[in-house]
Amino acid sequence: MKTEHPKLREFKFTLYRIFKNPAAIIGFSLLIFFTVVALAAPYLAPPKYAHAPYRMPHKGFSPTPKAPSEKNIFGTTSGQYDIYYGVVWGTRTAFKIGLWVVCVAGVIGIALGVIAGYYGGWFDEILMRLVDIMWSVPLLVMAMTIVVAFGRGLNNIIIALILVEWRWYVRVIRSEVLKLRDQDFVQAARLMGVSDFKIMWRHILPNSIYPVLIMASMDMGSMVITASFMSFVGLGAPKGFADWGQMVALARNYIVGPPDDPLRYWYTVVIPGGCIILFVLAWNLIGDALRDAFDPKLRRR
Amino acid sequence: MSAILQTRNLITNFYTYEGVVKALNNVSITVRRGETFGLVGESGCGKSVTVRSIMRVISAPGKIEGGQVLFFRDEAKPDEAEDLLQKNEADMQALRGDTISMIFQEPNAALNPVMTVGEQVAESFLFHRTASLARDAVARMQDEPGAYGLSGRLFKSFLQKAAGQDPRLPMLKIADRLPLLRRWRKPLLAEALKRSVKIIGQLGIANPEEIIGRYPHQLSGGMKQRIVIAIALACQPDLLIADEATSNLDVTIQAQILDLLHQLKKTTIQSILLITHDLGVVAETCDRVGVMYAGTVCEVAPVRALFEKPLHPYSAALLNSVPKLHQKGELAAIEGSVPNLVTPPTGCRFHPRCDKALEICLQKNPELKRMAQDHFVACHLY
Amino acid sequence: MAAYIIRRLFFLLFVLFGVSVLIFGLMMTFSPERRAAAYITSPQQAKDIPRIVEQLGLDDPVYLQYLRWVGRVAQGNLGWSLVASSTVWDAFWRYFPTTLELNLFAAPLVILVGIWLGTLAGVNRDTWLDHATRIFAIVGWSLPTFLFALVLLMVFYGYFNIFSPGIISDSVQLWLADHPDQFTRYTGMYTIDGLLNGNLRVFADALAHLVLPVITQVIVVVALLMRVMRSGMIEEMGKDYVITARAKGADFRTIYHKHARKNALIPVITVAGQLVALSMEGSIAVEVIFNRQGMGWWLAGSATQLDMPVLMSVCLFIGVVFVVANLIIDLMYAAIDPRIRLE
Repeated sequence: MKTEHPKLREFKFTLYRIFKNPAAIIGFSLLIFFTVVALAAPYLAPPKYAHAPYRMPHKGFSPTPKAPSEKNIFGTTSGQYDIYYGVVWGTRTAFKIGLWVVCVAGVIGIALGVIAGYYGGWFDEILMRLVDIMWSVPLLVMAMTIVVAFGRGLNNIIIALILVEWRWYVRVIRSEVLKLRDQDFVQAARLMGVSDFKIMWRHILPNSIYPVLIMASMDMGSMVITASFMSFVGLGAPKGFADWGQMVALARNYIVGPPDDPLRYWYTVVIPGGCIILFVLAWNLIGDALRDAFDPKLRRR
Repeated sequence: MSAILQTRNLITNFYTYEGVVKALNNVSITVRRGETFGLVGESGCGKSVTVRSIMRVISAPGKIEGGQVLFFRDEAKPDEAEDLLQKNEADMQALRGDTISMIFQEPNAALNPVMTVGEQVAESFLFHRTASLARDAVARMQDEPGAYGLSGRLFKSFLQKAAGQDPRLPMLKIADRLPLLRRWRKPLLAEALKRSVKIIGQLGIANPEEIIGRYPHQLSGGMKQRIVIAIALACQPDLLIADEATSNLDVTIQAQILDLLHQLKKTTIQSILLITHDLGVVAETCDRVGVMYAGTVCEVAPVRALFEKPLHPYSAALLNSVPKLHQKGELAAIEGSVPNLVTPPTGCRFHPRCDKALEICLQKNPELKRMAQDHFVACHLY
Repeated sequence: MAAYIIRRLFFLLFVLFGVSVLIFGLMMTFSPERRAAAYITSPQQAKDIPRIVEQLGLDDPVYLQYLRWVGRVAQGNLGWSLVASSTVWDAFWRYFPTTLELNLFAAPLVILVGIWLGTLAGVNRDTWLDHATRIFAIVGWSLPTFLFALVLLMVFYGYFNIFSPGIISDSVQLWLADHPDQFTRYTGMYTIDGLLNGNLRVFADALAHLVLPVITQVIVVVALLMRVMRSGMIEEMGKDYVITARAKGADFRTIYHKHARKNALIPVITVAGQLVALSMEGSIAVEVIFNRQGMGWWLAGSATQLDMPVLMSVCLFIGVVFVVANLIIDLMYAAIDPRIRLE
């Protein structure tokens, strides 16, 4: 125990903290499940149209949903789209939205934030004023406006969310960098003549990345929520695209069934809706466990 | 002289990720009435844990696991002791700050940053002197009926009740939990603030009326420490515990605070338990000293005896590591480092660093032995 | 302090300018013809489009169009809303009270429940209560507002047939239309107007329609507040001043509610702006699902109809509300934390 490298020991302790938390285990299991479903989508639900696998197959155009049967194990939603197929391929859509938005917004935000925080000066000033402006309109409002300007569609939703979400990463990482910039080890590196790029890359980034990782994990969830809401109101992909938000939209007129059986069409809302919730929950549980493990204030030995 | 406080085989452990930290291992010390008892040792040796265990303010994951903390409340009855570890939390609350109080190491952190210092001093009175405050308030209202404005007039009956026998009446307790009725305490606060002004003034702070309205960040370190002392002294405790009370202050202010404690010792407080790692402070202020190492007490002696002839190898090494006026050659540091208390050394906890260690030191934990009048040591050499 | 407020008001102007440039820039991504199409109402008028482009100067350089637009806005002419089929200005006054009403009911509940549960969880760390609160918080945080609202509707409206969507029942609406002289719309909020007119039927009916929307809004917003409050309490309970207070003889109630909570509120205030944003976003989904004609409903409707002038105005308006809210938050910050001085 004494001979262990301190970094290794710290890492072990972090892992211990993460996996001591049952929430994290649930989160990671859910995430693994969704990843497997997304990767195995062509096997789980062989596409009918090879050139457009995201188009949900449908037999007929009847608006009334059909209950789960042997042919459609989760039933069909309004327009006779197969819910099972939509849910499986919708997993890919959700990953696509989350990963694109978080990765691109994260990289842009981190790069700008580190540079602004490290150098300060006019670049910092201009960037932060821009962030201030962006900040004064809530994410959803801004994103909806951008989607309207660029036109409907899933790709435009992703672009809109990237354009709005980077501001978060800039703020978070910049405040971390400001805390680190004047610390002794950074000053020492500077005095030793280490190049600015190397200081940022080797010293500042690794020490300021944890809050960003936590945020990124939570963001994977909240971006999927926002995107699915925009799909729901009709700003997303065309009808019939395998997207959970849109599947809920298709079900919207059937949340209340006939008077004698008001919950008859429950599967149209609950199945795709449940997928959204579990997907988001997985990322949030992981993010929460990471926060517990990394936050020095909550961390306790 | 009779004892006022005595710990017997106190054991406190901390349950952490790395394992159980055995922070205190059978700590036994006695503080006598009227003396200043010093507790010295390196940082991390368990001095603070000892006093926090005495006050029972150990925070999680720490746990007091054994021993006794005997408190001799009445000077006239030296045989009647109460074990603080057996008391319930309400009794402890009544005792803390009233009969035993404590001052802390870091005045910046010890004061609540969002409360005025006046309020913080006043709390001591509010917790322990409700009845007497209420009597003052009632008396004042008899002189000038409009004294406390609306809250005085509305809650006069409350105040009279509180001024009577039992300030912890159920009715008042319920009132304390209700949003508007809670205001019956306003006149008490006004009276408590008056007393705070008085005690802050006594501790040598100029224009106390103005100071009580300030927040901690507006005061200097020395002033803050005086406020912390005022909080502790408000109810004139029988025993004052000073946990590194001067360590984080500038040297000049340190001297002022020590002077202040010295004066207070003559006038108001009977006994002081002083914790410090500074042997200079010990020599200057204490009557008797206990030396702690890694959660154990290794030597207890009158201050002169300890400085002249330390018996325990650790005490001797500790004294040697202090620079002297006519120092020749290098300072003697103690070889090795403080042991990890998750896996403390077997036997005497000091043996790995002790140059006189014997075979038995590895196996058996030495007991405190009496070597001379008032001089105890825990070492197998004797 | 006054200087600080004035500075913040200048900042408001700057932000409004920035937001307007940003959004105007977005609108410019539309071709002049598409923007002109917003002014026609039937396919027959399509041949008028080139004329409209000419007439309104939609072809002019961008800065000219921007200045013209700012001039119009300064005169109070915000344009025409397709969804509301009235001017944006009129529509705004029609829709705003509905949203305000929702948040007037939801916000105090959010604050009370969030602070209370967060404190409880924080001081009882690692007990079942803490775990339950955390699960509640994380599930609440993971629930998409629109889905939760849909499920509530499904259960309470569909299955139990209580709490129907909308702002007010049709029967009450009809009665109101028949008796315009007996009911004055003072504020535009049915609950408050009901009370002011002494008409309990309207009040009760409007309140019943608010139950599900308010529950949705609270559940979704409260999670963040609770989480920050919890970790704030945990952090504060480990501070030295808590030990000082205990050594003074304070009981735990006093320590939690008087000493620690006020300190724990400081990080809460730093996320207050986020809470306001969350409430605004929540209002959109709530109003869309529960069919309440408010700002969010209007915004979503305008977005689906690609009604850019309305989106711009709404963004500007929300910008104003948000900056003012943040100003208030800063003032609260200074009131709670004596170490902060507004200069």
